Amino acid sequence: MSREGSDIVAAVDGLRERIGWPGRYESHPLVTAAAILVAVTVISPLLWLGLRAAAVGPSEALSILTAPSTVQVFTNSLALVASVTALSVALGVPLAVLTVLTDLPFRRFWTVVLALPLVVPSYLGAFAFVSAFGPHGTLAELLSPLGVTIPTIYGFQGATLVLALFVYPYVFLTTRASLLSFDSKQLEAAQTLNHDFRSAFRRIVLPQIAPGVTAGALLVAFYALSDFGTPAIMHFDTFTRVIYVQYNNFGRGTASLLSIQLLAVTALVLFLESRFGSGTGSGYGGGVTKTDSTVTSLGWAKAPALLFCTAVVALTLVVPVAIFGMWLLRSGPGYAGGGFAFEWSFAINSVYVAAIAAAATGLAALPIAYVSARSNSPLARLLDRSTYVGYAVPGIVLGLALVFLGANYLPWLYQTLPLLVFAYVVRFLPQAVGATHSSVLQVDSELLGAARTLGETPQGAFRRVTLPLIAPGLVAGAALVFLTTMKELPATLILHPTGFTTLVTYIWRVQEAGYYGRAALPALVLVAVSALSMILLLRQEGDNA
Amino acid sequence: MDDDSSSYLRRRRFLATGAAALSGALAGCNGLPGGSSGGGGGDGSGTITLSSFRGSGPLVEGRASLSGTRIADLPDLSGELTVYLGGGEGGLYRELLSMFSQLYPDFTVRPREGGTAQLANTIIEEGENSPADVFWAVDAGSLGAVAEADMATTLSSDVVESVPQEFHPTDQWVGTAGRARSVPYNTNELSASDIPDTVMDFPDTPALQGAMGWAPTYGAFQAFVTAMRLIEGESATRQWLQSMLDSGVTEYPDEFLTSNAVADGEISAGFANHYYALRVRSARTDAPLDLAFTSGDAGALINVAGAAVIQGTDQQELAENFVRHLLTVEAQEFFATRTFAYPMIPGVPPVGGLPSIDELNPPSIDLQELSNVEPTLQLMRDVGVL
Repeated sequence: MSREGSDIVAAVDGLRERIGWPGRYESHPLVTAAAILVAVTVISPLLWLGLRAAAVGPSEALSILTAPSTVQVFTNSLALVASVTALSVALGVPLAVLTVLTDLPFRRFWTVVLALPLVVPSYLGAFAFVSAFGPHGTLAELLSPLGVTIPTIYGFQGATLVLALFVYPYVFLTTRASLLSFDSKQLEAAQTLNHDFRSAFRRIVLPQIAPGVTAGALLVAFYALSDFGTPAIMHFDTFTRVIYVQYNNFGRGTASLLSIQLLAVTALVLFLESRFGSGTGSGYGGGVTKTDSTVTSLGWAKAPALLFCTAVVALTLVVPVAIFGMWLLRSGPGYAGGGFAFEWSFAINSVYVAAIAAAATGLAALPIAYVSARSNSPLARLLDRSTYVGYAVPGIVLGLALVFLGANYLPWLYQTLPLLVFAYVVRFLPQAVGATHSSVLQVDSELLGAARTLGETPQGAFRRVTLPLIAPGLVAGAALVFLTTMKELPATLILHPTGFTTLVTYIWRVQEAGYYGRAALPALVLVAVSALSMILLLRQEGDNA
Repeated sequence: MDDDSSSYLRRRRFLATGAAALSGALAGCNGLPGGSSGGGGGDGSGTITLSSFRGSGPLVEGRASLSGTRIADLPDLSGELTVYLGGGEGGLYRELLSMFSQLYPDFTVRPREGGTAQLANTIIEEGENSPADVFWAVDAGSLGAVAEADMATTLSSDVVESVPQEFHPTDQWVGTAGRARSVPYNTNELSASDIPDTVMDFPDTPALQGAMGWAPTYGAFQAFVTAMRLIEGESATRQWLQSMLDSGVTEYPDEFLTSNAVADGEISAGFANHYYALRVRSARTDAPLDLAFTSGDAGALINVAGAAVIQGTDQQELAENFVRHLLTVEAQEFFATRTFAYPMIPGVPPVGGLPSIDELNPPSIDLQELSNVEPTLQLMRDVGVL
């Protein structure tokens, strides 16, 4: 091996060492116990699924699961998950590289606007796309005098496109986080050693950011698996659409069976990821130990890069905001609907419950992130992966499971905010775990050792050393949970306290009644409020950079 | 959240005096003006009159005089009631609830909204611990499911007697407004005579080839297929669904969008509940859109929104009195003129040039059986519609 080559390998090894490759520092037993407690608690509501499914006879169950339509739905779901994930990676990784490693003009601006699509609920995105690009949509009307017809937006392609456009930021953010915590001196070294950017990127950067990309891709994959609205609006049959139809027609047994099948798919994806993936997860977190980034000059590629960013932003932000704005200005169907009047308290309710959910999820994520970052034992990995189960369950399934448990066993909690918040914790825990995990990885255990040597108690060392170091990851994870809670619909609809209207339950109400125009203002408010928190989230990242 | 206005308190007071003044006159006489004059009786200003309940717009003109029980004939609503409010009309129904709260300062209603079937499922999962006092839903199937799970009490006969028998089959719930299946068609593309009289003939009608739209995931459509299954049998229904697919039917997410697509000429005709077309026409008076009805078959099904009092409520009396209020002339006029639904009491006619409810020829089936959707879904899945 050439001297340069071995240098690079040594550098990579050094980096792996530095980010705390698992196995060296195990967690305190109490922390492990807390992690197990959290994992068991968030999985427990799903036992209800088993109860419901058991009520379906075995032969009927078999016939439902092997029916041609079920097989079709199964194939559709897997195809959608694969295509959405692939497209999200294809969008998210290059955009992350552009905004972190290159001299793209206005990098700060692009970072913010490219992350923003995450705040647009994908079902609203889908509505906007159908309005804009569907048959008789705005674009079709504009183009038809010119004799131009556009390909249909409905079906597999449309569902893939819309989902990927509104969830790729998961990959974008986690990849950015990995790039930011990546020691760019390595890249600098490689480039001085006559490797061009592409080869240096492939050999140095890619292995380092792979865990981040994988973490983002997992979030995308499970989002695609559990999202109901987009496939429904795009006329594409997936598990969630069929489960939703079943639940809406008293086919609770069948719906539970299909949900269990969905969970089996989830388990399979997690298993495959752990076998062939990078082994260690990473998530969106602050790049705590990052040094000054080395900026690679884009050169002639500057214009195409800008064009790429502009196109993505046009599709993900300009189209929905323009369509909502148009709905807002255009007079809606004629009716005098005082019952539909928008109130600002809906926005306040949304922010309030999302903030509580963010804090609660952050706390619940802490022990699991700690254990999984400190150890690569099967238990630690199981704990980490178990958090994805609730994330992959459709919200309507989780909602009704909690109705059953709440009304019958915890009546004092039923239809209260704590139970709703619990549902959010179950749904969104992996987002917070991922983010916290990556910053725990960056805590140098020798620093903790030093604190202990200097007479700190374990608690004191945690408070004075660990907590400040992992705070950015915790905050980032909580912010991500805040954003996703703001736009969560099905569980909110089923579990909200009576009289507690949020932006999305209001949007659902008017949308369900066919008054799309009334959805415009709350949709814009939702996007604006979420955008503010996204900017805070990225500022957090910036402060650490 | 909604009962914010103290200025409405005066209206409540008027109604009390109005009721006293009317106590001599029997229901149905000139208690409240039924015409378009809009003025209240008695002291005039600041009163809730029939016109407060009535909608406005081009479809609501020249209303005939109405008859039936009036709000003033009923005991006051007083106390707190949790109403599970299912379905898309939620927002409009909510408005009626807030009008009641304005009329009765001692009456607080806590509406909880959700999808009809989702709320029915919720009530069934909640069992005897359900916080709901009343389930008010836009679909008889959901009401039937709640009744079959023994979660609905039997209503007193005086609550349900003004409504035709088929809209309160077991007295565990009572219809409050009707929703007729219909065929919205584009008048530029088709004329009424192009629409067959029986729904079973649709797939073989040349004018409708590749020109129809439907919303198979929509509850009302599934209720329609369930009715077809009950009337024509499984294999004929399967055959019909398959033939419709073969004839190139277009799928929409809901029936409002289906009706809109008909008005746009994207399709020539569709399957939809009748009020969606009225809503489109109310917004776009020049829309080339009209309604056809089939006769005596599933295509002519009249489903209802209805109300049930939930088993185990500690507000039985208030809940029943609330349901009585939904069947007053004022509330029925509200449903007719604001949601474009079919009124349930004979003294209030529908709007928009619709045939009256007795001119329609709905199939004779027990609406409650519409809750048995499972075999329908199986059928729809087998054929590939779902």
